[in-house]
Amino acid sequence: MPKWPGVVGTVASALGLGVAGYLTYEHFTSSTSLACSDNGVVNCLKVTTSSYSAVAGVPVAVLGLVFFAIMLVLQLPPTWRRPEPAVRLGRMAWAVVGLGTVLYLLYAELFAIDAICLWCTAVHVLTLALFATTVYATSAYPAPSTEVVALDR
Amino acid sequence: MSNKRPRPPTQAQKGKGSTTTTTTTTTTTATAKRSASSQRFSERQAAKQRAAQEARRARTRTYGILTIALVVVIVAVLVIVKVAGGGSGSGTVDQASPPAGTPIPAATLAKLQSVPISTLAGASTSGVVTTPQSVNDPALVADGKPELLYIGAEFCPHCAAERWPLYVALSKFGTFSPQPGRIHSANEDGDVPTLTFYGTTYSSPYLTFTPVEVTTNKPQGNGYAPLQTPTQAQLTLWEDTNGGTFPFVDIGGKKVLPSAQYLFTPLENLPFSTVAAQVGNNSTTIGANIDASAAQLITTICGSLSNHKPAAVCSAVHGG
Repeated sequence: MPKWPGVVGTVASALGLGVAGYLTYEHFTSSTSLACSDNGVVNCLKVTTSSYSAVAGVPVAVLGLVFFAIMLVLQLPPTWRRPEPAVRLGRMAWAVVGLGTVLYLLYAELFAIDAICLWCTAVHVLTLALFATTVYATSAYPAPSTEVVALDR
Repeated sequence: MSNKRPRPPTQAQKGKGSTTTTTTTTTTTATAKRSASSQRFSERQAAKQRAAQEARRARTRTYGILTIALVVVIVAVLVIVKVAGGGSGSGTVDQASPPAGTPIPAATLAKLQSVPISTLAGASTSGVVTTPQSVNDPALVADGKPELLYIGAEFCPHCAAERWPLYVALSKFGTFSPQPGRIHSANEDGDVPTLTFYGTTYSSPYLTFTPVEVTTNKPQGNGYAPLQTPTQAQLTLWEDTNGGTFPFVDIGGKKVLPSAQYLFTPLENLPFSTVAAQVGNNSTTIGANIDASAAQLITTICGSLSNHKPAAVCSAVHGG
């Protein structure tokens, strides 16, 4: 297992955690200081105060924070070196959850809210990067234990 | 150095040689042959397994790349469809309220108008995030009375939240006729139930209330359809005081609310009746926030606009 998936995944998760943390802070402070354009297609305030900004009363920004916190643990290089299939499966499942959420929110931004939030887009790009990293590394490289078995033969 | 391999015994040798020696040699050679053959077979099998494993891995990697490519294509299609104008959001376009809103039942309005001052004053202020701030602007006057200027927009969720305490507070100093109708902020902007001041007239012996609803909640282009245009004086005051953001409440040029008094999020997607039912009930977050905000407005109006009249209202509210 090469080192790059762990490095790329950790960096992307940490960046995502930071952006989601900022959006969470803005959500709970009336969004008045959100550093983003509020005109035309790009309108963070319109997105972050829309009805799509919460799911069952839980702000999407908070869900993002939780997502990236868990993903950060799953993407750490030592976690990538773990041989348990459950870890690989869990990481893949979590990446799929992120992908599904991103596609839903992207659809909402483009077709329901009719505005794009740059901070949210940054989160979406990072989530897609995590999905791509996880899928490629999981499919291209065998689990560490498999590698040992192969070398022993 | 001889490179000759041991020859198999000839027919003559077979006849002449010792039978035991011949048998042993034959057995050893056969065993060696079998061993070599078995080794070659194992190697071929291992190679086959390795090849199969490698093929499996390559297949899995291909599936992985195809999955990633599929996701990229889906995202690209969404963006292209949007850019090409194929999805204008018409599926979720706001069901705009009539200009003056949907009529509110008289009983509900009566309830909102008659919340006891003591109840309003007794509400917890923990959810109030913005209080009226002092300013040194020229006195706002309209029709010979101190003026309370409100600038908002029907799409705006913060404005939707602010109209509840405004209506409750203003009802203590005068009457609306016609009464406000029921609307909600834009579907994609919280869908917060509220009243609209558009199309209403407010009468009070103490103050003049000037509401300006700049836009509807109906999407149009990149914004919302315009509804009312502030005068140049209102526009200048609004932009100079809070940068032209919604909502803006100026209380006689003495105090301003640069934003909503409490957060609108608990009201999102709720029916109008659910919020109305909680006004005057300080045991709920929504009720307490609206009541406490209304009490602050009443206190401010008493101190800045109405010269502490009517006494029954201003003496009842704390600090009035």
